Amino acid sequence: MFGIRSGRRSAKSLAAALIVAGLAAGALAGCSSSGGSNSTDSATKGSITWWGWTPEIGVGKQYIAAFNKVYPNIKVTYKQVATASYDAAIRPALASSVGPDVFNIAPGGGIGSIAAYQGSALDLTPVVTKALGSGWKSKVAAIGPAGLTTSSGKLAALAVGSTFAGSVWINPDMFSKYGLTPPKTFGDWVKVCSAFASHGVTCFEQGAGDPGFNMDLLHSIADSIKPGVWSKAAAGTVKWTDPTLVQAMTVFKSMFSNGIIQKGAVGVQQYPDVNNDFLAGKTAMVMMGTWYMQYSTLAGATAAVSAAGVANAKPFPMVSIPFPDVTGAGNPAPLFGDADYGLAVNTKSKHPKAAETFVTWLGTNTAAQQVVANSLNDISALSSVSPKWSDVTLVDPSTQQSTLQSLIGRASKITEPRLGDLSTALGQAMGVATASVAAGNATPVQALTTLQSSAKG
Amino acid sequence: MTISSRAAEQTPITRPDDDRAQEGGAARRRSFRRPSGYAWILPALVFSVGLLYYSVGYTGYISTLIWNGTAPDVTHVGLANYAKAFSDPVFWLTLQHTAISFVVTFSISTVLGFVFAALLHSRPWFGGLYKVALFVPVVLAPAIMAPVFRQIFANDGQFNWLLTHVGLGSLAQPWLAQSGTALAVILAITIWGGTGVSFILYFAAMGQLDPELLEAAELDGAGNIRRLASIIWPNVRGTTLALATLSAIGALKTFDIPYLVTVGGPNFATEFLGTLIYRTSIPLGAVGYGAALSILLLVIALAMAIVLNAGRNKRGARTDA
Repeated sequence: MFGIRSGRRSAKSLAAALIVAGLAAGALAGCSSSGGSNSTDSATKGSITWWGWTPEIGVGKQYIAAFNKVYPNIKVTYKQVATASYDAAIRPALASSVGPDVFNIAPGGGIGSIAAYQGSALDLTPVVTKALGSGWKSKVAAIGPAGLTTSSGKLAALAVGSTFAGSVWINPDMFSKYGLTPPKTFGDWVKVCSAFASHGVTCFEQGAGDPGFNMDLLHSIADSIKPGVWSKAAAGTVKWTDPTLVQAMTVFKSMFSNGIIQKGAVGVQQYPDVNNDFLAGKTAMVMMGTWYMQYSTLAGATAAVSAAGVANAKPFPMVSIPFPDVTGAGNPAPLFGDADYGLAVNTKSKHPKAAETFVTWLGTNTAAQQVVANSLNDISALSSVSPKWSDVTLVDPSTQQSTLQSLIGRASKITEPRLGDLSTALGQAMGVATASVAAGNATPVQALTTLQSSAKG
Repeated sequence: MTISSRAAEQTPITRPDDDRAQEGGAARRRSFRRPSGYAWILPALVFSVGLLYYSVGYTGYISTLIWNGTAPDVTHVGLANYAKAFSDPVFWLTLQHTAISFVVTFSISTVLGFVFAALLHSRPWFGGLYKVALFVPVVLAPAIMAPVFRQIFANDGQFNWLLTHVGLGSLAQPWLAQSGTALAVILAITIWGGTGVSFILYFAAMGQLDPELLEAAELDGAGNIRRLASIIWPNVRGTTLALATLSAIGALKTFDIPYLVTVGGPNFATEFLGTLIYRTSIPLGAVGYGAALSILLLVIALAMAIVLNAGRNKRGARTDA
């Protein structure tokens, strides 16, 4: 009897267990089910999600609020993922069926690399052609589609705006306090840094533990010697052991030994260390790009200084200066850049039409691009749009507006890529080379020879 | 064995009637064919097979691919990723760092934990406060402490300030920026964070010792050091072995502190298997190679567990004899 009852109970429990197991297996299997458009997809209605490492959440909300004035029935939920975590988050998300409808990708091999994620992106050529016409490429900054189009010709993402590196940002208040002027040559730079050091102040801070920013510095030096050699090396048409690049690496090394770059730089990251120190008024100069323009606004600067850990944040009127002529070659200070980020539509999106509406609007609509331009986070993707200065509140318009206009004017003519031609592996090899030289573990020639062999391999 | 199956087996013995005995035999056969208890573990089995063993198996499969983790197209390369790992100097460097980390952190944490536990068993004033102070680093998240240590060991940080102000300014240096010193800082932080565990385990183990043993040693004229070395230390050997196992696992799993403090740098000077797997799989997008490294980590962990268990069993057998 006991056995029979036990048998019945076991039959029931087996059935219950099988149901639970079935549900569990279903849940596991559900993880791998594919997404895709559904029958209710509409270009003017729906709820979509957008993941990106940029823009800042406040700027993202501005974009969405402006979008919803035109498309009130498309709800966009923006999730800003920390830059360092973006790849870790987006990779499994795109592999699943519940990833974001819209996601950021970027040129080159860095964060959100187009090479890594273009397979999950729809081709946006048809929608951008529909929005701007067949001559759409002439209406947007060329650097945008150049970095966001795959080798097979697929427009994997639509640029919202571009950013350019190669500029140095200074804290004018610190220069005024010690009666110093921004450097224009290598000699000036050494003298200025010596003067700051005599007051116990950091002159120029570099996160030399961060390969990307070392590349920016080296790229600037190389371009100041002979413009274009760096890009050719990145594209593989010139060897990394080219004399121009050896000279550039030698200058890079001397910036550490001549007191321009702070001691211990190899143990420092550009973000958050250098960024926080500059915003907190602890260092007078940093090498950052046009993305720093957003901290020229009163709101942007106040928020950034506060986020750097300064109590009762008081913004200062930071300005950019051209990269000093460090070799005396007399070439104009270089800028180089890419699309800051592009918006891609996930191939597994359940609302691809609504997602395309949002992406197209932000990347091609004049009103939307005006919002982008005015936020000063990016230089707008549409060539015809520039910041409307009457709508932008700067910390000190008298000193900042002209330098910002000059920077934007110079950047709008640039076609030299910053990261676009660099693969992830090459970027890592470059990081090893620059860190080895900075730490004194390798000579410039040794480091570049190793880099060249890595690039070949 | 489950309760129901055990009851079913007992039935024919307690009821000697033949029919009943046959019924009991049938029930036993039924329960053997359809073991009721196994049904209860089926959900757990599905989950563990699905989430653990399946994942291990799938990682093994991925390790034979060149794949970026999202692309629909994959390239089958067999064992090429393993060959790549064995020829990758950074992989061997991570093993070296893991071995150094295990030896250094286990040795120092064990000595410190043992000494602190012995000192606090002597009931000093404010003993409770010391216990809290020793254990607090264990509960502080590395993510919270990493920026603090980055600041402390920066070139203009508090550690160099301290050295300068005690007359050792010549030793001040950029600790995190040099390959030769960055690993030492990482190990120091690991020891700081892990000594609390050694201390608390030794403190508990010492509390279990027979006081008469210590009193007898004292009567025989053994001093404090002699009692620590000859009585207490051998009697807490089980704790030491447990700590060795924990330290070995910890060394293999090392990720958070080097990633948060030095990002594995400068130039791989603080790279561990965990940071290498992450960097390879996520920023570099070489998911196949990352999976091969993960499988190698698993093999090393299993080998280490077998060795440590074998060592423990051998000692146990010797003790029993």
